[in-house]
Amino acid sequence: MRKRTLRTIAMAAAVVLAPVLASGQGRYVHANNSPFDNLDPHAVFDVGRAASRINMYDGLYRWVDNPPKMIPWLAESHTVSPDGLTYTFKLRKGVKFHDGSEMTSADVVYTMERMLAMKKGPAGLFLGSIQPGTTQAPDPHTVVFKLKEPSAIFLSTVPEIQVVNAKLVQRNVKDGDHGEGWLSRNGAGTGSFMLRRHDPAVGFIATRFKDHFHGWEAGKKWFDEIEFRSVLDVNTRVLGLIKGDFHGTDGYLPYDQIERLRKESSIQILEDESMRVFYFAFNMSRPPFDNVHFRRALNYAFDYNGFINDILKGSVARNPSPNPNNLWGTPKDIKGYEFDLDKARAELAKANVQLRPITINPLAGFPETEQAAVLFGNALRRIGIEARIEAAPWNIVSDRFRNKDTMHDMVPLWKSTYYADPNNWVGELFTTRHHGGRNTTWYSNAELDRITDEALKLTDQAERAKLYDKAIRHIVDEAVGIFVYNTKWFGPYSNRIGGIRFSPIGNGQEMRWAYFK
Amino acid sequence: MKRIAIVLSRLLWFVPTLLGLIALVFSISHIIPADPVRVIAGDQATAEQIDALRTKLGLDRPLWEQFLSYLARVAQGDLGMSLFSQRPIVEDLMARLPATLELGVSAVLLAVSVGVPLGVVSAVYRNSPLDHVVRVVSVSGLAIASFWLAMELQLLFSMKLAWTPLSGRIAGFPPEPRSGFMIIDALMDGDREALDSALRHLALPTLTLALPAAAQLVRLTRAGVLEVINSNHVLYQRAMGFPGRVIIWKYVLRAAMTATVTQIGLIFGVYVLAGAIVVETVFDWPGIGLFAVNSILRSDYNGIVGFTIWAGLIFIVVNLVVDVVHSFIDPRIVR
Repeated sequence: MRKRTLRTIAMAAAVVLAPVLASGQGRYVHANNSPFDNLDPHAVFDVGRAASRINMYDGLYRWVDNPPKMIPWLAESHTVSPDGLTYTFKLRKGVKFHDGSEMTSADVVYTMERMLAMKKGPAGLFLGSIQPGTTQAPDPHTVVFKLKEPSAIFLSTVPEIQVVNAKLVQRNVKDGDHGEGWLSRNGAGTGSFMLRRHDPAVGFIATRFKDHFHGWEAGKKWFDEIEFRSVLDVNTRVLGLIKGDFHGTDGYLPYDQIERLRKESSIQILEDESMRVFYFAFNMSRPPFDNVHFRRALNYAFDYNGFINDILKGSVARNPSPNPNNLWGTPKDIKGYEFDLDKARAELAKANVQLRPITINPLAGFPETEQAAVLFGNALRRIGIEARIEAAPWNIVSDRFRNKDTMHDMVPLWKSTYYADPNNWVGELFTTRHHGGRNTTWYSNAELDRITDEALKLTDQAERAKLYDKAIRHIVDEAVGIFVYNTKWFGPYSNRIGGIRFSPIGNGQEMRWAYFK
Repeated sequence: MKRIAIVLSRLLWFVPTLLGLIALVFSISHIIPADPVRVIAGDQATAEQIDALRTKLGLDRPLWEQFLSYLARVAQGDLGMSLFSQRPIVEDLMARLPATLELGVSAVLLAVSVGVPLGVVSAVYRNSPLDHVVRVVSVSGLAIASFWLAMELQLLFSMKLAWTPLSGRIAGFPPEPRSGFMIIDALMDGDREALDSALRHLALPTLTLALPAAAQLVRLTRAGVLEVINSNHVLYQRAMGFPGRVIIWKYVLRAAMTATVTQIGLIFGVYVLAGAIVVETVFDWPGIGLFAVNSILRSDYNGIVGFTIWAGLIFIVVNLVVDVVHSFIDPRIVR
């Protein structure tokens, strides 16, 4: 009798566990350079911490692959009104939150209102285009966004509407904090993985959400759990990967660390061109930067090949314009400037301006910016311009940006993206409407403003591409900055990992596609 | 009675010391040209969004006003909210303090148990080859940068010999904390595997912190013993035929320990709390040092000031304990 009971239990266990064991692959461990001390998808928005947002939450659409393409996600489809002001999304039916309740359009409305009220992170994408209180839910599976003015980029920002469980968050609101305190340590999403443990000092573990709307295709492999840990020190991340403590780490390690990892037989380095342009931002508000010949002289004085091939060992791709090479709208024939000190001297002569020492403000802790500044400073001295290099941490540099009087003359830095649209670069970095915000150059040009505004009102991509082509050529011809390279993403992973899908938005940190080989 | 008076007078100094510390750190962290609001608001933030958030966080008010309201909150034990984690600073620090204390206490214990005996031996065998070796090692211990030492120890013991883990406090994701001290939790659970893992993880960060501290103690103990060993009362004890060991370890060491004990208090502040910032970063040790680094990198004012207040408090308490111990070693203080 007892034997039969045991056999029955064993058989039942085998039946229950079979599918789990077939796909059960254990836990993927990722070492990240940013702290996961806040998991709220509407408070956290930096690329370094994308993992908590894109693995535990879902947006209406989702960016995948490279070049990035948007696929339907929580929304199945959308329509745009002829005036380009009303976007209506049809939501997928039967989508479950991690607590088992159904996601409806009321949750999307709450999500948008919450972001606009908090004014943090992703809110910057919507505050300019959506008025609080205007988003509507005519039925449980339809949501309507009304824009203040036509905005062609709205659609490409929709993946950042990471939907939260309205009822659950509202139950945890304290003193009108929009549930920020609670959501910083808890989960309320529909994402592919659901939060199991969170230690703000360490990271988080999330378990595969079996009822995720996208499903888990039979016969395919996937991780049962994902663990993202914050490991601040780059050397410790690299050694941990070599030792096998971690299965993956961030894709923008210093190149000497990538070379070190290449020598390890247990490590694979995935490679892809990203959308992260390295450039020198000019403070155009003061002379001699208001003189186009002076700016062109600076452009001819940067040793692009020396920097890319000798210092960065060819680990990046030359990018002669503000927009990434691999994005639509970027002119394919644009050459930009080359290193030629004779041409630089000739432009300087044409400029005929009073020279003064130029200040360069590289980012402390980002050696590439300091190397670029030193290289540039040496070349400038050869054409008679004195350069003063003063490195400062990002938080100080970003504060100086706010005021044209405190910003240095030049700042070497990167511009990456949260939405793949040409407007993210040429439309934000140099237009008057973004002064004091995303336009840190203080450049203003009525023609450029007109072109980029018009591009925002159109919905036809081919028409928009023509306008951005014109805008980009204008910026390069006017030499409004020195555009150096587009970053390559080198994703270091254990050889055991397969299925990583890199997209410049999210940087390959979405783990639902990945598995142990 | 005198001992209690000493403790009370030290406690009275607590308030102005702490007040000065808060004023200094608050001013420095707010005056440096760094903008946490911009970091919180994100890269995509508009100028209006940044200004609105600044007002919401109260960072647009005059500095003196911010300082006074901060002081009022500190008086009630409220160090404010982290601008990033959205949790009370006290909660964040409390969660991380056991990690730092576990590391700090083990480093001090190791430093004392190695540094004091070596200092004595070095003094007793003055100018012998052993003394020279100990002096070279102790000078090197003081000179070596802790971040370099930490990385070399990782390369040797974790990567080459595979004796110790590379980073973290325990194998895998840490369990839900009870006391927060991994060793105590493992002992309470009778979990030998967890205890073994916790001790192995503790080894390299402890060694990194303990080495310069032990080097300092060697030098001080050696100097103290040399001073006492030539005094008249030691000469008298020798004349009386006391065994050498008794003279050194019972009488000489006690007299020489006055300066060493004071130094232990300083070591806790200088090497353990300050050193923890580097060591916790390299070994990914989730303590208050790592919290301070992240707060500084993101200009989290409340985090920076909160960490400093706590570090100051720990330093003051440790020095109070040192004063009390001092009074036992040298009873003349309380006479």
